[in-house]
Amino acid sequence: MSDFKIDLPSAKFKQKATLTSLVILLVALLCSYIKFNPLVIFTEFHFLQDFFVEMFPPNYALFYENEGVGQSILQTLSMAFLGTIFGGSIGFILSFFAANNIFQLPFLRNFSKSFLAMIRVIPSLVVILIFVIAVGPGSFAGVLTLIITTTGVFGKLFTEVLENAEEALSESIYCVGASHLQVIRYSIIPQVLPAFISNLLYVFDLNMRAAIGLGIFGGGGIGYKLYMAMRVLHYQDATALITMIVLMLLIVENTSNFLRGKLLGEKL
Amino acid sequence: MKIAEFKIARYKNIVLPLGGLIFLTFLASKSCKIDFSDFGEGIANGTFFITRMFPPDWAAFPDMLQPTFDTILLALLGTFFGTILSLLIAFFAAANLSNPWVRNITRSLISIERSIPELFILLILITAFGLGAVPAIIAIALGCVGMLGKLLADTIEDIPSTLMDSVASIGANKIQIIAFAVMPEIIPNLISYALFRFEVNIRLSVLLGAIGAGGIGYELENSFSLLEYHRAFSALIIVLVLVFSIERLSSFFRNKLKTAIVLK
Repeated sequence: MSDFKIDLPSAKFKQKATLTSLVILLVALLCSYIKFNPLVIFTEFHFLQDFFVEMFPPNYALFYENEGVGQSILQTLSMAFLGTIFGGSIGFILSFFAANNIFQLPFLRNFSKSFLAMIRVIPSLVVILIFVIAVGPGSFAGVLTLIITTTGVFGKLFTEVLENAEEALSESIYCVGASHLQVIRYSIIPQVLPAFISNLLYVFDLNMRAAIGLGIFGGGGIGYKLYMAMRVLHYQDATALITMIVLMLLIVENTSNFLRGKLLGEKL
Repeated sequence: MKIAEFKIARYKNIVLPLGGLIFLTFLASKSCKIDFSDFGEGIANGTFFITRMFPPDWAAFPDMLQPTFDTILLALLGTFFGTILSLLIAFFAAANLSNPWVRNITRSLISIERSIPELFILLILITAFGLGAVPAIIAIALGCVGMLGKLLADTIEDIPSTLMDSVASIGANKIQIIAFAVMPEIIPNLISYALFRFEVNIRLSVLLGAIGAGGIGYELENSFSLLEYHRAFSALIIVLVLVFSIERLSSFFRNKLKTAIVLK
């Protein structure tokens, strides 16, 4: 018994401690490289405080004094809607070619697969900068950008849904003499329709956020209004717009969650 | 026997939503002032513009290494601090660690945070702290909370209660429960969510760069507005390569992690 030795601290503890201290050291090095001091939030807090004092009270009179604001809200909503509808439709069609269980055409499949992957990689910042030059600043450029990005996201999501569709159903319909298109119409589409709609709602949610962000780079809508309000230092207007945006996004998120639950509950 | 009589009622389920959608699309196009006659001209402009961008300015690549590194660093540090912050918040948002009132309030704060675009957090912080890396890192870190906070809180709530009870029954306090029952359970999920968020944050840090955080996003925006299209094209290539390789790397590590969990 006497030669039984308890190693304190244990090997596992030592390993963990080394790992943690290495990570902390690395983070500290990187922080000092980029001149970022996390404590700045506390030491420079008075700047933030001054700023918040300036932001309050929010100037809600903006909404009835300036009719452009209501219009810009509608514009943002329509941008997200149009981007979702058109981008979703294009993504829907492309994903049929990209899924490996629907069309057995390797050339077409590889083409649409890599096309979708390529679109997804291009950041929306680049797309909007190009479209602003092509069609001029405004919500049209924003809509075109959203269509491109939605095609990528939706195509990817939906290809996976299609590839997970039940094989046996398609085969049984094929056995009774259905053509390829009929198999798609009567087996694949009914199977994936609920997922299609729920993905569409999800993408609409994403597009609302993106539409607001795109406003800054010339996409129009409420994002542009907010950016301008910040630029000309009308912070009280900005607070009013921010609360409006948050409210709008919360409503959209909850509505889409509600609709999704309802649709999936009925269809499944 | 009559075969499949044509009935309006049969198509009611398709025609009504479709008609509604077309109507809404029409209204939306009206409010966006979309004019498809502009579209043809736009395509001509766009292709002309893209041909003007070729070839990329090869000499600009060495200048852009530093901004690229900065962009990666912003995303990395933002993800690191954001993950820690979300973890702390997730403890308050999990039903089995905090009381119902605190949980519900934290959860609704998280969902409010999720609906504030990171761009506006950055705009606010830039007014407070000035341009540079500091507001960008804080904005990215705060942006993580909306997603990671919710996911981690859900993960914590999924921990079997027997595990936490057994640690509590031998006299552990809250912090010890977190250290010995909660953390070992959620660490694999934590890492995989953080990797996924890192992917998002790389795109975000490019975007934030364009409105004043520096880095490759700033290079891109700047060369576009200075009409140096060849330079912009090189920045574009770097951004594409960066986003693509980070996405591959992150999904590779996440798959590794998944198999490691399954093997364990």
